[in-house]
Amino acid sequence: MKLLNLSERLGLVSYRNQAKSDIKPHIKVDTDICNSVCPHKCTTYVCPANCYTMDDNGRVHFQVEDCIECGTCMYACDQGAVDWNYPDPEIGRGITWNYG
Amino acid sequence: MDEKFDCIIVGAGIAGLAAAMILARNNMKFLLIEKGDFAGSKNVSGGVLWGSDLARLVPEYWKEEDGGWERYINHRRLTFMDRESTFSIDFKSSHFNAPPYSGVVVLRSRFDRWLADKVQEAIDDSDFAMESFIATSIKVDEVLMEDDKATGIRTGEEEFHADSVIIAEGVNNLLTRQAGLQDDYVPADHMLTGIKEVIRLDQKVLEDRFQLNGLSGMSNEFIGYATDGVEGGGFLYTNRDTVSLGLVAGIRDMREKEKSPHDLLNQFKNHPVIQDTIRGGEVVEYSAHVVSSGDKQVMPKALYKDGLLLCGEAANLLMNAGKAIQGMDFAMRSGILGAETIIHAKKKGDFSSQTLQEYRRKLDETYVMKDINQFQDAVHMLHSPEMFRDIPNLVCDFGRKFFTIDSKPTRKSRRLFAESVKKHSSYWDLIKLGFKGGKSL
Repeated sequence: MKLLNLSERLGLVSYRNQAKSDIKPHIKVDTDICNSVCPHKCTTYVCPANCYTMDDNGRVHFQVEDCIECGTCMYACDQGAVDWNYPDPEIGRGITWNYG
Repeated sequence: MDEKFDCIIVGAGIAGLAAAMILARNNMKFLLIEKGDFAGSKNVSGGVLWGSDLARLVPEYWKEEDGGWERYINHRRLTFMDRESTFSIDFKSSHFNAPPYSGVVVLRSRFDRWLADKVQEAIDDSDFAMESFIATSIKVDEVLMEDDKATGIRTGEEEFHADSVIIAEGVNNLLTRQAGLQDDYVPADHMLTGIKEVIRLDQKVLEDRFQLNGLSGMSNEFIGYATDGVEGGGFLYTNRDTVSLGLVAGIRDMREKEKSPHDLLNQFKNHPVIQDTIRGGEVVEYSAHVVSSGDKQVMPKALYKDGLLLCGEAANLLMNAGKAIQGMDFAMRSGILGAETIIHAKKKGDFSSQTLQEYRRKLDETYVMKDINQFQDAVHMLHSPEMFRDIPNLVCDFGRKFFTIDSKPTRKSRRLFAESVKKHSSYWDLIKLGFKGGKSL
């Protein structure tokens, strides 16, 4: 069976308010912490939706659009950079599982 | 809304729905709040709902043609895995064919929604048919406290008041932390990421491939190469026309070993034995959710305070002691007990912690806390590197030698085993592990 890459996998996910481009992020990440004191930058590999990425200069960037609300980053980040919340049902993004 | 509820339940997962069902049946006025579009829309599990409590909530649920569950389990398999092999302990019995079943596979988006419909029916039949509600698409921002007693909840600018609040918000328990029952930051040490794909197969193919009959199903857990040396394991459960295939992987261990859960899942899927199992399938959903390990150290400081109860995984009620991954059944039982405690408090007219501590006492007396307490050593053992790395390698190495017939003189099994032990572990480690295992199981 063919393996799916992450973007193919995320393409199967149903997000809320998918049509809205201007959404209120439910997770705030202080990437200054990631890019100054963090020794591991682990969110860039433990996030199952790849919301945290590292650019060519090793700097961490965060986007909330693909977030599937799993919670992994809230525990993985031990540097206090992740301010995690649930999305607002009206103006946030977040997940609606079809199977769950 | 000015009127006051007897109880507000936050979260329409299994714990919240179980609590709501008991409250409705006992003519309590309550509000069940869910942040998703519908009950189950934000919930993920492996997953098997073990035990027999579902029959208490929905009597004779198995008679329903198209109930919310997928298949009942009559076939169990525990598999040790290395890079190329699997060595399984396999048990199937018609003993498990008759309802009430001892375990049913569920997909939460479907199951929770179905259970919520049953709760709504119970509300409709209650004295508060027009005054109890299941409210969806509402996110609770805060549990309202007065003199350290819970008095309701706030969502946005709106407040709802009640004599009691049941927090059944799941493992990412922000309200539990806000109420001071758990630290603001919960470290990764005892938390794992569950990640899975739901893979569709032609139903006939699925039934033939897994030797299913009617609505019978199989559960298969994996340790070893499944997680490539990371704390955790794999699972495969048969649904009606899909399988749930996934992993749980320790978050701290992934951080330290620089592993991505989605890469681990692909590696697991690429294993030759798994390839044969899912051939021709089509992935229809990819999902992930954090799950706690069942280590008591992550449990909240208390499961109640004045006017407040914690149920389900918000209280980190979960356990995998090697026999089964239990969490949904713990959620269901704790929801039932929580609701019964609220009903008792209503009769007494006292929702203080003095009355609500009864919840903890009852929980301690049930299999939920008894098992969690009794099998802590097994939990620790299962999460040790010997169990998720060395033993599976050893077992598969031995299996490969034992089952090799190559027209050469066959050596005694004892010698083959000694070789495998030497390669992957030591007798001393095995003795220690055997001693631990004997004691903990």
